[in-house]
Amino acid sequence: MKHRGRGVACGWYGIARTAAMDRAAVWVELDDGGTVKIATGVTEIGEGILTGLCQIAAQEMGVRPEDIVLGDNDTARVPEAAHAGATRMTYMIGNAVAIGCREAFGKFRDAMGAYWGVAPGSIHAFAGDVWVEGSPTKRMSMGHAVHVLKKERGIVIVGSGLFTSQHTPLHPETGEATPWQSYVFGAQVAEVEVDDDTGEVQVLGVWAAHDVGRVVNPQQVEGQIEGGVVMAVGHALMEDYIQHAGQTTTPGFAKYILPTALDVPQVTSVLIDEPDPKTPLGVKGIGEPAITPTAPAIINAIYDAVGVRITQLPATPERVMSALQEKRVREAAPIDATRVTAQEEIPMGPP
Amino acid sequence: MSEPVSGCQAPVDGRHPMTEISATVNGRKVTRSVPNHYRLIDFVREELKLTGNKEGCGAGECGTCSMFVDGKLVKSCLTPVQKIQGATVETVDDLDRDQGMTVLQRAFHKCGASQCGYCIPGMVMAATSTLRRNPAAGLDEIKEGLGGNICRCTGYQKILDAVQLARDVLNGSRPESALDEDAGTSFIGHSTRRLDAPGKVTGAIKYAADLWMANMLHLQVLRSPHPHARIVRIDASKARRLPGVECVLTCDDVPGVDNFGVFIEDQPIMARGVVRYVGEAVAAVAAETVDIARAAVKLIEIHYEVLPGLFDPEEAMRPGAVQLHAHAADNICKHTRIRKGDVDAALAAADLVVEETYRTAPIEHAYLEPEAGLAYVEADGCVAVHSPSQNITHHRHMLAKILGRPINKVRMIMSTVGGGFGGKEDMIYQGMLALAAIKTRRPVRYVFTREESFIASAKRHPFTIRYTMGLQRDGRITATRMVMVSDGGAYAMSTPGVMNKSAILGPGPYAVPNVWVDAIGVYTNNTPSGAMRAFGAFQSEFATEAHLDLCAQRLGMDPVALRMVNLMRDGATTHTRQQLDRVLAVDCLQAAVAAAGWDAGVPHRQGLGQAPRSDLGGTGTRAPCTLGARLAPMAAAEPAAATVPAK
Repeated sequence: MKHRGRGVACGWYGIARTAAMDRAAVWVELDDGGTVKIATGVTEIGEGILTGLCQIAAQEMGVRPEDIVLGDNDTARVPEAAHAGATRMTYMIGNAVAIGCREAFGKFRDAMGAYWGVAPGSIHAFAGDVWVEGSPTKRMSMGHAVHVLKKERGIVIVGSGLFTSQHTPLHPETGEATPWQSYVFGAQVAEVEVDDDTGEVQVLGVWAAHDVGRVVNPQQVEGQIEGGVVMAVGHALMEDYIQHAGQTTTPGFAKYILPTALDVPQVTSVLIDEPDPKTPLGVKGIGEPAITPTAPAIINAIYDAVGVRITQLPATPERVMSALQEKRVREAAPIDATRVTAQEEIPMGPP
Repeated sequence: MSEPVSGCQAPVDGRHPMTEISATVNGRKVTRSVPNHYRLIDFVREELKLTGNKEGCGAGECGTCSMFVDGKLVKSCLTPVQKIQGATVETVDDLDRDQGMTVLQRAFHKCGASQCGYCIPGMVMAATSTLRRNPAAGLDEIKEGLGGNICRCTGYQKILDAVQLARDVLNGSRPESALDEDAGTSFIGHSTRRLDAPGKVTGAIKYAADLWMANMLHLQVLRSPHPHARIVRIDASKARRLPGVECVLTCDDVPGVDNFGVFIEDQPIMARGVVRYVGEAVAAVAAETVDIARAAVKLIEIHYEVLPGLFDPEEAMRPGAVQLHAHAADNICKHTRIRKGDVDAALAAADLVVEETYRTAPIEHAYLEPEAGLAYVEADGCVAVHSPSQNITHHRHMLAKILGRPINKVRMIMSTVGGGFGGKEDMIYQGMLALAAIKTRRPVRYVFTREESFIASAKRHPFTIRYTMGLQRDGRITATRMVMVSDGGAYAMSTPGVMNKSAILGPGPYAVPNVWVDAIGVYTNNTPSGAMRAFGAFQSEFATEAHLDLCAQRLGMDPVALRMVNLMRDGATTHTRQQLDRVLAVDCLQAAVAAAGWDAGVPHRQGLGQAPRSDLGGTGTRAPCTLGARLAPMAAAEPAAATVPAK
């Protein structure tokens, strides 16, 4: 027979390197044709950071995302941006790109202000157009502006950006520290269906709310949440790298089982997009935090559905069946006050 | 390239008989002579250099190599090349020769359906097959059509959105403009289509295994069959004599200080005197072909003296246990402590003390792209390594030290990464590649098999977590004690960092006055554990959140209400005594509960004779999976709005 239940779990996460100084640097050049060259030391691992950085640079430089050329992720050609991980890409490199672009755009405004004879602050740019606030005539394309500055003024607009996040190491005895500057929070609800004849669990729905800071690209944030949730569905229900005396018995995808399109719940993402006040851009991150609440929400939902607590991941059909079997035996046995276990203790009741 | 199938014994010299194959591939007639053990994937990728379709597993499990043969979808890693004699083959590289992208590929671009992109060529082929078969395919049929394809990044939802969008555009129920970028007035905050998506949906983007250079050699690695053994002697003379072999490498060839690691540099690039896990690299061969390199690996003779192994972290910490590393007393790699307040006193005074033990499993990252790399020496003597490394800066640092050369004579280039999740932070093969390129003065490429990736790369740390929590009757947590022991495996990799993160975050986003956490990472002879998405916090927060549900049950409380009592608020002090400013924990819980329409009450209330919960099966849930949609009579497509609620 099939039973449904729901579970909830919260989560939190620190952004960027743990208990260690974190840093990222970029170089920026406003290039011919109104394009922008950005060089930084690390790239895409699938999360969409290249697109996000192009969006940030486009916004800050007054051009379009497709006008950005991102320099190679090559230790011989670009400045250090440290590693691709720790939910640090948008936070560390996004802020570094914003800082570098703001420096370059400040120089651009100064140069164009001198060219047009107006205050630098009156110069604006968006999507490849440059104009002076309130002037019907003082406007041109970014491509033309670059041409004018180079050919008539001998000016190449360049900038650099460095973003540092100050993190301190843990005290060896007490753990006292500021391991991160910025934290994110999250909460998820999962709904499951448990078949008590087979032990099979299907996750039918997950509602995920995450505090991600300022959102650069909502579709990609959702993509991270959906991917994280489904990875955690795998961890919760099926994935187990098994070894016997150091030899694995799960050396490939035939034995190491992963979720497929048929296993995935419908995921509803809610983005809490309050900018982080501690950084120039207000962005934080979502890659890792998305994965933490899902597995306990599923395990708690299994209890809600059928009244068995799974304490060892993954909750395979075999483990769920064995827990259900123990529960049946326990419920059939006469009550013995000396053998009270966690499963059968009477709730204390509300205060 | 997989090992030749058993039954057809590989030649000892690695030179297979050739077979001539004629076929029509992407509209062009080709005739090529290839080794007779080639599969379709080898023919297309290695012979024709059409690298759009990838090899993910070599066993027909992941689907990224899916192609059409005479219009039928096949897993090309399971298709012997002889099967395409005279046939018509279509790969992802040229699905639409006129426009560059088909409607389906444009829909993938629009919907954000590609992330790392490595599975996407197979997804595109499988979805194309489904829509060719039934242009009105419903969501269940689309899911079944993709059931043989694994994606590790996206969670599939945006792939399913894309296939439904393509179906609707193709059958005219949605306009073609639905594939265009949505207009916006700001670039930050806009769902700008991914700039790398066109290259990923067409297979044009190059991953390390797709790279090819003139005069390139192929590397293969001899790996330890033992979890713990002393290496008595290595005899590579037969391997060195095999025609086509350019070099055989062991630890004796390493010129510099031979160790690497993310936090503790405790691992040589090839085993030095002792092997500590099954799959540890012992020797490497660079040869003219992969087949010759494989044959040479089999000719290397290693004499091992097998040593007793440690496979359980608790046993490894016991006095008298074998010591695996000189620097780690009791085999403890890292012990992180958090101490705040007086946990014993608070537990003694608590209304309720709840204890339980939680366990998590070792987890494989299962990125669809197995490890791969290409190294060469540039004209100025700089050695360059292309690989999907997640940490090129640190890898350059360590590699310069290992190779004994200045940092500016080592260049690390991060190739397109086909999924990482932390698993590509460890420099487990780049050292051998660089060394082979320096020794041979030729480009050298190395591509892992899926099985090699499983045994040689780090796993998510398995944890055992003994939990004790003290609470007041109103649900307030007064004390948390977590004692966590984790199997770090044979080398440290990211164990110190994982212990720190698991400890700092473990007690959860709750205001707890008294906290005691031990996180102990232990060396054993199992596959090393390392960095993986949420880095220890997945494990420790799992325990806390499962434990809170148990506490809610004991208190007779709604688990949301229990959390609301305890969640950190603005200005909270963390377990490491950091004062926070803004804390949005409550906002997140309220938002999730509101979106789900949570019906408050004690868990498993029906078991207590209470009315069952009333919030099940509503908006935001899918129907349970029942197989066979593609066998049902063809029905008209469900309207997209009903299957994919707008967010």
